[in-house]
Amino acid sequence: MSEHDPIIEIESLVHRYGDLEVLHGIDLKVEQGEIFGFLGHNGAGKTTTIHVLTTLVTPTSGSARVCGFDVVEDRLNVQRTIGYVPENVRLYDSLTAAENLRFFAELSGVEDVPRAIDDTLGVLDCRELADRRVGTFSKGMRQRIGIAQAILHRPRVLFLDEPTSGLDPMGVRQLRDTIVQLNGELGITIFMNTHLLSEVARVCTTIGVLAEGDLIYNDSLAGTLERFPDEASLEDIYVRLEVQ
Amino acid sequence: MTRPLGGRVLTLGRHEYRFAFRSGVLLLLILSMVLVAAGSITIASFDFRAQVADYNAYLQQAKAAGVAVTAGPQFFPLQLLRGVIEYIEIIGAVIAIGLGYLSVARERTGNTLPLIFTRPVRARDLFLGRLLGAAALIGTILAATAVISLIVVGTVGGHWLNGTELLRLAIAFVAAFVYMLLFYALGTWLSARSRVVANGLVLALVIWLSVVLVLPQIGDTMDPDNQVPGGLFHALQVRKPDEKRVLAHFSTYEKVRNDLEEMSLSKHFERVTFAVTGIKDTYNGKSLGAVAHGKRNDIAWLAFYSALLGGLMWSGLTRQRALPREA
Amino acid sequence: MSATVVIARQHVRSLSRSRTFVLILGVLLLMTAVSGLIGWSSHATIIRVYDETVRILAAAGKSAPPNPFASKPRLSLLDNMIIYIPLIGALMAIVIGHMSVTADRQAGVTGVIFSRPVQRSSYFWGKLTGSALAGSVIMAACLVLSVLSLTLINGGFPTASEFLRLTLFYALSSLYLLLFVLVGMVAALLTRSQSMGLFAAVAVWVLVTFATPQFTAGLRPVASLNPVTDPATVSRSTFFRITSRAKPIAVNEQYKALSTRILTEGSGARPAKSAAQLAPIAFFLLLLGGWANLLVRRRDFSEETARD
Repeated sequence: MSEHDPIIEIESLVHRYGDLEVLHGIDLKVEQGEIFGFLGHNGAGKTTTIHVLTTLVTPTSGSARVCGFDVVEDRLNVQRTIGYVPENVRLYDSLTAAENLRFFAELSGVEDVPRAIDDTLGVLDCRELADRRVGTFSKGMRQRIGIAQAILHRPRVLFLDEPTSGLDPMGVRQLRDTIVQLNGELGITIFMNTHLLSEVARVCTTIGVLAEGDLIYNDSLAGTLERFPDEASLEDIYVRLEVQ
Repeated sequence: MTRPLGGRVLTLGRHEYRFAFRSGVLLLLILSMVLVAAGSITIASFDFRAQVADYNAYLQQAKAAGVAVTAGPQFFPLQLLRGVIEYIEIIGAVIAIGLGYLSVARERTGNTLPLIFTRPVRARDLFLGRLLGAAALIGTILAATAVISLIVVGTVGGHWLNGTELLRLAIAFVAAFVYMLLFYALGTWLSARSRVVANGLVLALVIWLSVVLVLPQIGDTMDPDNQVPGGLFHALQVRKPDEKRVLAHFSTYEKVRNDLEEMSLSKHFERVTFAVTGIKDTYNGKSLGAVAHGKRNDIAWLAFYSALLGGLMWSGLTRQRALPREA
Repeated sequence: MSATVVIARQHVRSLSRSRTFVLILGVLLLMTAVSGLIGWSSHATIIRVYDETVRILAAAGKSAPPNPFASKPRLSLLDNMIIYIPLIGALMAIVIGHMSVTADRQAGVTGVIFSRPVQRSSYFWGKLTGSALAGSVIMAACLVLSVLSLTLINGGFPTASEFLRLTLFYALSSLYLLLFVLVGMVAALLTRSQSMGLFAAVAVWVLVTFATPQFTAGLRPVASLNPVTDPATVSRSTFFRITSRAKPIAVNEQYKALSTRILTEGSGARPAKSAAQLAPIAFFLLLLGGWANLLVRRRDFSEETARD
């Protein structure tokens, strides 16, 4: 793929759990280098979309490509280029942070594992956590190691599912800085599901709004603010879109 | 950038081993097996000494009375291991089921399956990695059991095994290794396929009970001669030829009884190991070739179960849902 | 309503809705049915074998001794239950005891429970009562099934005395199972990791069910799976004679001996002997109960989370 091609491309994506259709044929493109905020109320289908893009779920119909690779046909290549941080990331409590990272680095096929771990902990400024057991960590520390496991192999896209869930204000601020840093310094495209609109307004370059399994809005943040000059904040814009 | 696939298999295998080691489960299992093995060989050794003492007493009485002497009890050191093999047959199977359950339950409780399933890991790697880890764990437990058995037979039993006996013991432990891996596959398969992992464990234990207890027991307790202590025909004072004539009328019943027993994986394991080690008297002193020929049916059954359970474990692991059902 | 009752009721309700518990109940009922079936099949075959033997002996002009099976009491057809309950029942009781501690932990509600005015001992008694009730329900279902199989096999309803014996046997079995519920609870309370808790409890079960009989009754592991003891399998060594002195405190052996007496012995109850056989079971019940209560009182529930 060339540098102008979208890094994520979804076409007519439908997904059903039994009789329940949660995605009704969505189309979406995310360009390289963006920080994409995926908004929507609980149960709108955001997490299912991430699960499709991270190859965890096979869509019922339609297609999705990440870095030019089809999520169904070319699963292994998609997995080589992505990193994923689930909501409330859980790691192996009885292992140290470094042992957890080593396991995931080896599974991702990283060649120089010790160096990758050291570099990643350095990027996230948490080398001091390396030899502590994850079971003793606070929520914020756990989140940092959760992100570390996802970027060890320097993915091109990082998927974050509700990354601010349960974090204190300092934790949220630290996470915001990390996202900007990963995007700016390492050139990683970020795709995140979130409810925290103040954070979206601060870090995202593009937003998409999902309602009841349909993508009802998709534009750059700047374009969005221009389009709704009467609304005081992104929160007001979101409410108006949802009501419409 | 990518490592060879073997690297991922090793990573997954090491992961399994480290957990059992770190949580203390491995140590607990090794201790349990070593203790029961040492205890059972000790009892068997003292038993044999009691037999020899009885025989010597009889010998003196017979000599004093001028009566012809019958042959004394013969010492077959591998026969002291009967209890150990029975423990592997019963407890070894439970241990292996438990290890399979734990490896699935750990990833489910920790919700770490999505993290593994978003890595470029092939189904084959996952299967082989788990199998490698289980092989290492089971190998460690059995190796510790074998070593303690050798030592107790040597010290308490007063006989250090020679080369041929060691070879037979090694073959019996290889059979035990395969037997335990099969139950590991069963535990993994059922736990991975169950929505609630604990149900998988209960189902696997039910199958264990059927295979280890119910099927052989049906064979045993449905045997008319086993209904009365000492044997029914003995109680009725019926001799062997008459017994055969009576039983000739129950050939269908006997066939059903035998077929039920044939379905038990444990019985096949027991028959093969008892024959190799000479615990079964009829195979004592026979060459390994003769044992293999005599037990070819049981070996074939073990091979059949290996293929079946290996396939089921593969299907369980590769079709496992990474995520809970959600809307 | 007292906190104990509320917790017991909640525990029973969540057990009855758990597929694992329903599965356990199904398994035990199935085993009871199998036990009846095996009893019926071997009983019928023995009678036919005996008749055939009598015919052959008569043809040879010999007289046959009385059928040794005829002197066996009718309830001995359920002999297998004496083996199935310490094996399957106890294993299932461990799972119930384990779940009574870990279910709240998994649901993350222990913190919420103890933020209410609930005494630690009420929590323990609630869980124990709930588990005991669940165990008794299972045993009652097995009793019904046993009565049904006996009625079918013998072609008539058991007599009042037989019914009483059966009830006594299943009451004793409920007590024996409660012992393992407590083993499951104590092991889960002693460990932070769920898997370690379950494994430790199973290790105790292995020790009680297989290893102890080998030392106290001289039974090899496989021999302890058979209700009919073959005297040839019993050890005769001096070493065994010493270890067998521990028999009076071996709960598994005492349970089997007492059950056999209840199910198969004729009239003439021997209360002193029965009490002596029941004593170790009661002693361990008290010991484990006290221990579990102490562990619940001392446990720090503030950081309870489910661990692998």
